[in-house]
Amino acid sequence: MHPILSALKHHKTTVVLVALEIALTCAIVTNALFLIGNRLAAMRVPTGVADNELVWARTTGLDLGQGTRPGGDSAADMAALRGMPGVESVASANSLPLSQNYMSVGAWRRPGDKKDALDNVVEYTGTPGMLRTLGIKLSAGRDFLPQEYVPYDPNRIGGGVKTPPPRVVIVTHTLAEALWPGENPLGKIFWLDSEGKEPVQVVGVTDHLLNPRITRYQGADRNMILPVTRVSGGVYVLRVKPGMRGAVKLAIPKVLQGIDPARMVQAEVYTDTIADYYHGDRAMVWVLLVVTGCLLALTALGVVGLSSFWVQQRTRQIGIRRAIGATRRDILRYFQIENLLIVTLGIVLGSLSAVGLNLWLMQHYELARMPLAWLASGAVVLWLLGQLAVLGPALRAAAVPPVVATRTI
Amino acid sequence: MFRYNLELALHGLRRFPKSTALVVLTVALGLAACMTTLTLLHVLSADPLPGRSQHLYLAWVDTVLAKPLGSGSTDMALDGISYSQGYERIKLADAQALLAAHRGVRQAMVADMIANLASEDGKHTQNQQLVLATSADFIPMFGVPLRYGRTWTAAEDAARVPVAVVDSELARKLFGTADAVGRGVRINGTVFRVVGVSTPYAPQPRFYGLNFGAYSSDGGEGLYLPYTAALDAGLAPPDADACDADYQAANHGMSGDPRHCASLNVWVQLDTPRQVADYRSFLQHYVEQQKALVGFGKPARSQLTSVAAWLKRNDVVPDSARLNVWLAGSFLLLCMLNVVGLLSARFLRRSPEVGIRRALGAPRRAVFLRHVLEASLACMLGGVLALPLTLLGVWILRQQDNGFSGLVRLDPAMFGVLFTLALAVGVLVGLLPAWRVSRVEPGLQVKSE
Repeated sequence: MHPILSALKHHKTTVVLVALEIALTCAIVTNALFLIGNRLAAMRVPTGVADNELVWARTTGLDLGQGTRPGGDSAADMAALRGMPGVESVASANSLPLSQNYMSVGAWRRPGDKKDALDNVVEYTGTPGMLRTLGIKLSAGRDFLPQEYVPYDPNRIGGGVKTPPPRVVIVTHTLAEALWPGENPLGKIFWLDSEGKEPVQVVGVTDHLLNPRITRYQGADRNMILPVTRVSGGVYVLRVKPGMRGAVKLAIPKVLQGIDPARMVQAEVYTDTIADYYHGDRAMVWVLLVVTGCLLALTALGVVGLSSFWVQQRTRQIGIRRAIGATRRDILRYFQIENLLIVTLGIVLGSLSAVGLNLWLMQHYELARMPLAWLASGAVVLWLLGQLAVLGPALRAAAVPPVVATRTI
Repeated sequence: MFRYNLELALHGLRRFPKSTALVVLTVALGLAACMTTLTLLHVLSADPLPGRSQHLYLAWVDTVLAKPLGSGSTDMALDGISYSQGYERIKLADAQALLAAHRGVRQAMVADMIANLASEDGKHTQNQQLVLATSADFIPMFGVPLRYGRTWTAAEDAARVPVAVVDSELARKLFGTADAVGRGVRINGTVFRVVGVSTPYAPQPRFYGLNFGAYSSDGGEGLYLPYTAALDAGLAPPDADACDADYQAANHGMSGDPRHCASLNVWVQLDTPRQVADYRSFLQHYVEQQKALVGFGKPARSQLTSVAAWLKRNDVVPDSARLNVWLAGSFLLLCMLNVVGLLSARFLRRSPEVGIRRALGAPRRAVFLRHVLEASLACMLGGVLALPLTLLGVWILRQQDNGFSGLVRLDPAMFGVLFTLALAVGVLVGLLPAWRVSRVEPGLQVKSE
């Protein structure tokens, strides 16, 4: 080991250059891999509904000044939708997981006590059959009873005369834990409305139902479902046989405009909605992958270039070593160990910077702390890269014949 | 002397064409990545209305008859629009009072609304169109370019006359022609008479309507209406910063009724620092006069915000744009480290030749300069190659469907930045290798040859 170290001392600048290059790559690649891992994990979280069997539609009424009724008759619309071939059930909901449109309210543990309220709880409202249509599974309690659906309509832009919310609610496990940590939520009561004076009782719990939008304040799945008779400004949700989704989507506008022609109809297969939601994340993952690829390729090129230069510079010394008995394997080992040393130095520096970079990102971009195991992933990638990059020049060095030693002196 | 050095440098570049090409390509990739992301950031953080924005101020007074908002508030988002508090909006009565006071050079009330439009004959429709309800001063104050006709007057505002200014794009969609003066636009049964046609107007970011998204690749409102007539026709802003407590208790959902809720912005044009200071004290005085506010436990609050401060407070530049610049910057740094290595190897390989030059009397400084020049030349070549690569990068960005990437254009200023960056990179990467090669001892090299 000693001769390798003393040889490196003669090339301090070059060693520092390569080590810095490795360190920079290590810091960025480790964080990029961590980000990619995070995004991919987030994209794989299940929505809590039957993704592959849903189609939704929304209509907007037109007013042409000819006395047509804006909006539509939702009962007639839903009856017509139920009659379509391939449609198993239909319900109306204010929003769907990952569909972007959300409404969040405060949930009060004690009536009218602002200090004991949980803010930013997402509110889903749905008409009879919503749970069955969406495929939401309850882990405890029961579905709503027919008489529990009430004409409550908070989810509108433009306001309206107030009606009290329903008396019963289904909550996610996350919301239950946030309201009453460690307790059985079934039968418990919390309060809604801007004054926190309207009680609702928990009748069911679902393990998992994603929010329409995952945000810092609302979290990922802290929400509740309220039973309502009618949703204004919401969507019709259709449970469809998976193979029929495309056809149903195309047929919906005709069916709905057959009931009331003066309106716009938008219909979409739910899996496309999910793909849209993650559009930005996918773009981010691609950017990071391309950046990682470029950084690694560039670093490899740098290592190849410098190793080649060293091999060329040391041709005569290699010849001498070979002439006094070193085997090809010894020469190969020499360059490989040298590379390992430099890369390790870079990785040590790089790991420190990676942690620093992560801390900086945490401050500016709401990122999680990187578990130290990710540092190992960066290190392994760079060790492999270094060894691969040095292999070519090292083999060339090993191929130098002993006779070179006698040539130029 | 410079010419001689230049010739030597060019000669040096030609001697190892492969390694020169590698240096040029590496620098070009690093520069192109940097320039692409910088161009995006440059576009996104540009002044929305050059020459005008520094005179525009957002006036705000807190006159909502309710306790300050806290827990239990409602928050929602629909169609990519966030309905939340905090756009410094005020109620109708206050907006009208501020306009009537005429304390600014110009003042306009501004509120985005959504309407379903139809041409008068009902043949052409336009759904969910963003329209701007405003007052007479808006068009001259914000510099909306008129193509045909005129804007409406303060008298028409006061008389609640349903008139409209439409942009040529929407005019073509509704009437099939850009010159739509005299035609009618039907909204909720009211016919608005078109008095003027503007060319499409969409400052980026759209700082006076941030709740509907800061950037849009596909134009802005398209239709401008007097707010009085718009309210008469049943239009209202979709949401508000806050509502009076007694109104909120009787209604639910998000209401933007400007009579009870703070849902309108007032922008004021103020040309001198003196006017700004005067307006500020006028606003504060206005709030302190509001007797009705007593009992809600709120301090008298007013605020006058410049466009730049407004954009900064709302943090309109997307995080991802800044993150990309950092990523590209570190990529360029790595490219530079690589090039330093390449150049070091390349210059040192030339040590015998340098030794001879030194022995023949070339001073260290000359050797150093000649090598820095060679490095700079290589990097300038990289800069030239980076130009088409940047254009490619910008083109790729424009294909992204995220609302703001479509706005990216390369402007002359960015060419200047590219040139400067290439030169700086060239000098920086040349310093270390040139210094090392200038340390070569003359005698030693001659001996070993």
